[in-house]
Amino acid sequence: MLAIETKQLSKSFWRNTVVDNIDLQVETGEILGFLGRNGAGKSTFINMLTGIIQPSSGSYNLLGVKGPNDTIKKELGVMPDYSSLYGSMSAIKHLHYLADVSGKPVTRQRCIDVLKLVGLEAHANKKTAKFSFGMKKKLAIAQAVIHDPQLIFLDEPTSGLDAESVIHIHQLIRQLHQQGKTIFMTSHNLDEVEKVCSRIAIMKDGNIRKMGSMEELRAYYQSTITVTIKHAPIRSADLDTMQKWLQQAGNQLDMKDSQFTLQVESEKKIAEIIRALGTYKIDIYRVDVEEPSLEEIFLEE
Amino acid sequence: MLAICKREFIQSFKGIKSIIVIAIFLITAYYSADFSNLFLSLSNDFTSEEKEVIHTIGISILSMFFGMLFVMGLSHDTVNREIHERTIRFLVTRTSRASIIFGKFLGIALFWFVCLLTSFVIISIFVRDFDFIIFFQSTSLAVYYSAFTVLMSVLLPKPSLTMFLSIVIGLAFPIFNGWVTLTSNGWVSWLKYVLPFYYTEDQNFEFLVILLLAGVMIYIALLVFRRREC
Repeated sequence: MLAIETKQLSKSFWRNTVVDNIDLQVETGEILGFLGRNGAGKSTFINMLTGIIQPSSGSYNLLGVKGPNDTIKKELGVMPDYSSLYGSMSAIKHLHYLADVSGKPVTRQRCIDVLKLVGLEAHANKKTAKFSFGMKKKLAIAQAVIHDPQLIFLDEPTSGLDAESVIHIHQLIRQLHQQGKTIFMTSHNLDEVEKVCSRIAIMKDGNIRKMGSMEELRAYYQSTITVTIKHAPIRSADLDTMQKWLQQAGNQLDMKDSQFTLQVESEKKIAEIIRALGTYKIDIYRVDVEEPSLEEIFLEE
Repeated sequence: MLAICKREFIQSFKGIKSIIVIAIFLITAYYSADFSNLFLSLSNDFTSEEKEVIHTIGISILSMFFGMLFVMGLSHDTVNREIHERTIRFLVTRTSRASIIFGKFLGIALFWFVCLLTSFVIISIFVRDFDFIIFFQSTSLAVYYSAFTVLMSVLLPKPSLTMFLSIVIGLAFPIFNGWVTLTSNGWVSWLKYVLPFYYTEDQNFEFLVILLLAGVMIYIALLVFRRREC
């Protein structure tokens, strides 16, 4: 079953189109990472799906139910991009209250367990007005998962958090994924999306420019695979022939004494190069393959 | 809805403003009953109708002339504070917008119901009688004010603006409502039908119209809130 399905979903503010006819399908149990620069329309897209704002046109289904639909909200966990907390409530009361609002009351133990997951168990009874930015962010994540929803929207869940907290949150996301939850997250952190998400969508100017798994995106941008091979010295008689062969095999050859770097189109070419070096009886000491990072793909987009 | 209603109800009791308002109601109820007993024992000039309502006159005056001020003063920012601070996003992503509006409204109305009930119970201890019609008239006024407060809080996005208006409207409302109820000026006298005082002139069940008007205001608040982007 599809957890999220949008058809021609658009949002305009006056004449400014922020989200432009997006068709998207997210399978149940997937972690979809939404990447884009500031103002790309990521948060607007999440806000439409979660009922914070209404679409200008198009339609969407969540967990197979046509939206907007209040009955499905019980199964949604949402961490909005920006929201302050109820300052007069303690962390634990916060979770209790919001679980009650969802119509899925929870026990005190469940609240403590979720606070433990985000590293806030020591602050369970502290009023949220006294929380730091990072603590507020963690509690915002905790409230999104407290009622054990099936579909979780996380809008930049780790921005502004310290490294240890980021690891905590990544572990939590993986744990939720293992439980079969569908997670839709946006991020500016390319490394995070690459590590955590099973599929990535790159959004620009209100459109999804490219979507797929990391491998699919790499395959699309495959011309940028860089291979560096450290080898035994090549005999001067073979040097010219070897150099010509390598120039035909790939691009941007950078050849030094006992090492060369070459950009190739596919991984198959790497095997061909290694075989060729073997033909010339050149010993290979080391092969480094540098695939395009998400950052490079993102910047190219 | 119940969770929102419960929180709103409990929140209404918190803070110095609430304590002062509750104290005013309870003290008024106590002295209204106490002095009316004294007056009745000193004079026989009261008509039988006056004798019936004299114990509750203090609370009735308080509800009519200061009710709007008190209700708006305590709850003017019930919705717009949440929109302003974006805590509303936690609610709209979890439950229906109707549940939020009804929950808020019921929480506020329930607070005033409890305040008035306590006041009338205090009076009934002195009088050994509970005047249900006047109690329901006062309660329906509180319900009307609560609905108006929720509507204002949905219509106006800034809590500072509703705070200012709560004082202005709170003071002007009873004067204006009193005037349109009594005036023969045809241009404005029709307004008495959409304002509550007209329906509390006699001790009958006309107060039910006030509840109907409150329902209309809540419905308008809901229509506006459904279109509001949080």
